[in-house]
Amino acid sequence: MKKENIRNFCIIAHIDHGKSTLADRLLEYTGALSAREMENQVLDKMDLERERGITIKAQAVRLEYKAKDGQIYMLNLIDTPGHVDFTYEVSRSLAACEGALLVVDAAQGIEAQTLANVYLALEHDLEIIPVINKIDLPSADPEKVKHEIEEVIGLDASDAILVSAKTGIGIEDVLEAIVKKVPAPPGGADNPLSAMVFDSHFDAYKGVIAYIRVMEGTIKPGMTLKMMATDKKHEVTEVGIFRPYLVNVDELSAGHVGFVAGSIKNVKDVRVGDTVTDADNPAAQPLPGYRKITPMVYCGLYPVESNEYDALRDALEKLQLNDASLLFEPETSVALGFGFRCGFLGLLHMDVIQERLEREYNLSLITTAPSVIYKIYKTDGQLVDIDNPSKLPPVTEIDHIEEPYVKATVIVPNDFVGAVMELSQEKRGEFKDMKYLDITRVMLTYHLPLSEIIYDYFDRLKSSTRGYASLDYELYGYQTSNLVKLDILLNGDPVDALSVIVHRDKAAVRGRQLAEKLRGIIPRQMFEIPIQAAIGNKVIARETVRAMRKDVLAKCYGGDITRKRKLLEKQKEGKKRMKQVGSVEVPQEAFMAILKID
Amino acid sequence: MKIGLYIHIPFCQQKCLYCDFPSYANMDYLYNDYVTALCREIAGQGGLYAGQVVDTVYIGGGTPSLLSNKELAVILDSVMRSFNLAIDAEVSIEANPGTINKEKLALLKGSGVNRISFGVQSFSDSLLQTIGRIHTAAEAIQAVNMAHQTGFENINVDLMYGLPGQTTADVGESINIAAALSVEHLSIYGLKVEAGTPFAELYAHGKLGMPSEDVDEDMYDLVASLTSSLGYERYEISNYARKGYACKHNLKYWHYQPYIGIGASAHSFQRGERMANTGCVTEYIRLINEGHSTIGFSEKVVGESAMAEFIFLALRTVRGLKYEHFNNYFNADFFHKYGAVISDLEQRKLITIEVDGIRLTEFGMKYGNVVFVAFLD
Repeated sequence: MKKENIRNFCIIAHIDHGKSTLADRLLEYTGALSAREMENQVLDKMDLERERGITIKAQAVRLEYKAKDGQIYMLNLIDTPGHVDFTYEVSRSLAACEGALLVVDAAQGIEAQTLANVYLALEHDLEIIPVINKIDLPSADPEKVKHEIEEVIGLDASDAILVSAKTGIGIEDVLEAIVKKVPAPPGGADNPLSAMVFDSHFDAYKGVIAYIRVMEGTIKPGMTLKMMATDKKHEVTEVGIFRPYLVNVDELSAGHVGFVAGSIKNVKDVRVGDTVTDADNPAAQPLPGYRKITPMVYCGLYPVESNEYDALRDALEKLQLNDASLLFEPETSVALGFGFRCGFLGLLHMDVIQERLEREYNLSLITTAPSVIYKIYKTDGQLVDIDNPSKLPPVTEIDHIEEPYVKATVIVPNDFVGAVMELSQEKRGEFKDMKYLDITRVMLTYHLPLSEIIYDYFDRLKSSTRGYASLDYELYGYQTSNLVKLDILLNGDPVDALSVIVHRDKAAVRGRQLAEKLRGIIPRQMFEIPIQAAIGNKVIARETVRAMRKDVLAKCYGGDITRKRKLLEKQKEGKKRMKQVGSVEVPQEAFMAILKID
Repeated sequence: MKIGLYIHIPFCQQKCLYCDFPSYANMDYLYNDYVTALCREIAGQGGLYAGQVVDTVYIGGGTPSLLSNKELAVILDSVMRSFNLAIDAEVSIEANPGTINKEKLALLKGSGVNRISFGVQSFSDSLLQTIGRIHTAAEAIQAVNMAHQTGFENINVDLMYGLPGQTTADVGESINIAAALSVEHLSIYGLKVEAGTPFAELYAHGKLGMPSEDVDEDMYDLVASLTSSLGYERYEISNYARKGYACKHNLKYWHYQPYIGIGASAHSFQRGERMANTGCVTEYIRLINEGHSTIGFSEKVVGESAMAEFIFLALRTVRGLKYEHFNNYFNADFFHKYGAVISDLEQRKLITIEVDGIRLTEFGMKYGNVVFVAFLD
């Protein structure tokens, strides 16, 4: 097909504004899938994605559309992850496109997430087509939303397309607009190859499948490809397109979106954002925008049963095959034994990985409270990064500590501005900006410590604004903070996996809350268990789990021993969910208690 | 090996508010059919075990004493005729003090019953009312005295502690009264709120008013010390007896010995297999009449499960577990298998390790479940 008839586009939308439903309609309308193959939200492949209504991995699909001008167009839809954890992946997906559908809910208006992604799209010079979805809702107010798009983003929304992806209204208009407004891709098929990787997955037979957008040149089987960031070379065994299942083609040339396979064993060799070129006739420059992904949030993952350590490692390795942003390395904890320190892009990413390990690999895990990376400037001039509070050097060796800050954008109805400000101040935020989007909605910008965001900022934000606030954030930089390590002692022994780094001013309150919460979680045992929160040698809070007074089954009537044994077996099952820390049995959830204190 | 025989009478005049056992009120119309069916099963089982000596019989419930003199006589007669009873066999029956009189006691005595177990629970009228018992304290005292007068020389009284509204003093008083009545045996249990009972309902709504854990523990301690000072020897976690009066039938449960259960929902243990008859009285009667098997549940207990059962049952007794018994029964080596477990339990002062066996310490009795669970895989 002629390059002039190719359109590469993506969809930008806030969670629940109908991105996946719209994608399904486009697939259905263009006949990419038969009705039989059609399953709601085709592009969100994982159960988890469907359950949570979010997209975790980017997906792509090629649609063929016969436009009103009589010509057939090849439309490549690249579905982008819809969460702040995956901003970099989003930016790479955008870089693979020339246009974007900006989907806004006709009743809800623009949200922080949408805004962040629109700005990203504008940075990439994408043609943006406003689409107002859910116009079938009684509360829909398309005029207000148009106004908002013009005011806030500065886009002409006069010919925004009115759509109901649910009922199918306006789908053809969307396709026509893509054909008319999105420019055909630039580039020449005969130039040296440069193609950008925007995602990948691992196939047991073919190895790593790289999702690419060809910018210049042509790629076909038999060539030797080179990854420009890692310098790794592989022979191309297959190239193809997404229909949305993989279909092999003879070649992909400038403007095309598709996949390449080359017996690549390690997903780390195929990094999102990297440039694929021809080893024999390489491009002069890699494509701009590549950066190595660095996890922002770390936590310890430990098997409840120590004999599941190997199974946990195998599972992490398997997940890593499809997810190069997941980092892990062995770690030992005095309290929890052998496990792994894992790095994630954000809290959602962490949640998803944990849940997949438990569901798909049937592992029972203990997760420690998430931590950010702290920069420790030591008195001897050394700088150390720590991702685990228990690794904090002794106070006497620390000159000062820096922690990561984010630039957070909150969009909220103006009634809640006070609540957001109060919360953000409590969370050590520095006010930066406040803008009225329209007469009722306000955008607030704060610099906030990332550690506060991963602690409970988002939950508190949602509850203090009755769910109306939307939040987006990006890493902003490191700043010096007055931080201390808060230790928890059970029965007099510090439990390394329960240590947290907190701001000095908050340590006393956090210590008290934590001790109190643990008292509620740790079941009564045969002896009294003191719970102490301490900074250094100073105990700042103390609670006690009183001893269980007795624990013995009573009568056994008429020789029904089976029932008695079952009762004991049940008790044993409960015990298995506990971790023996010194002499104390600690339930799994205690280690997460640090994360949230209600 | 001599075997035990358990016969279940699943009827009560009124269901106690804490009870979740297979027993039903307002089923008088079934007594006759049930007794007939029971006697058929007794005859049938008797045939199966013709070569074996039965040295304990236990008629439990429910409330066996609720049956008429004639019905009781028929059952006992059937047992004596169908089984090969040892000359010194222990023959027990459970009785509710509100359902007993001189004639009934005389009949039981005359029919070979030599041990009677009264479900008294408390000698406080207000507590008896709270828990839904049909008798008064005075009736209970009278019943025990009558039993003595009738010539029973082996009498048990069941008592409970941890009842709603009960004080530690109440518990002590009840034990003292029982001792003053010169009973040979005391079974003293803590109340456990069981799902599906009226008490569970009250408990869920916070209306049961059980004693605090501290008080409950005080009661437990008092039971242990007071019984001992009154001359009762503790031989199992909840059972106390004058020397030589331990209940032989119940010991079979703890000692992993075989027993046959007869009647609706009755449990048997034979050659490592646990079985139970159907718990539905009408179905039981129908199955017997139609000549079908009455087994509603069976489970072959083997390997580690069997070992765990053997251990926790043995450890409930004060005598504890004898290595020799375990090793012979399973053809295994107790030390080899549980060495690490028992040394840990000993360190925690829950058990003592002796030359010929292990046993719970007094402290360990209080935390029996902690010990038992340690032997489960």
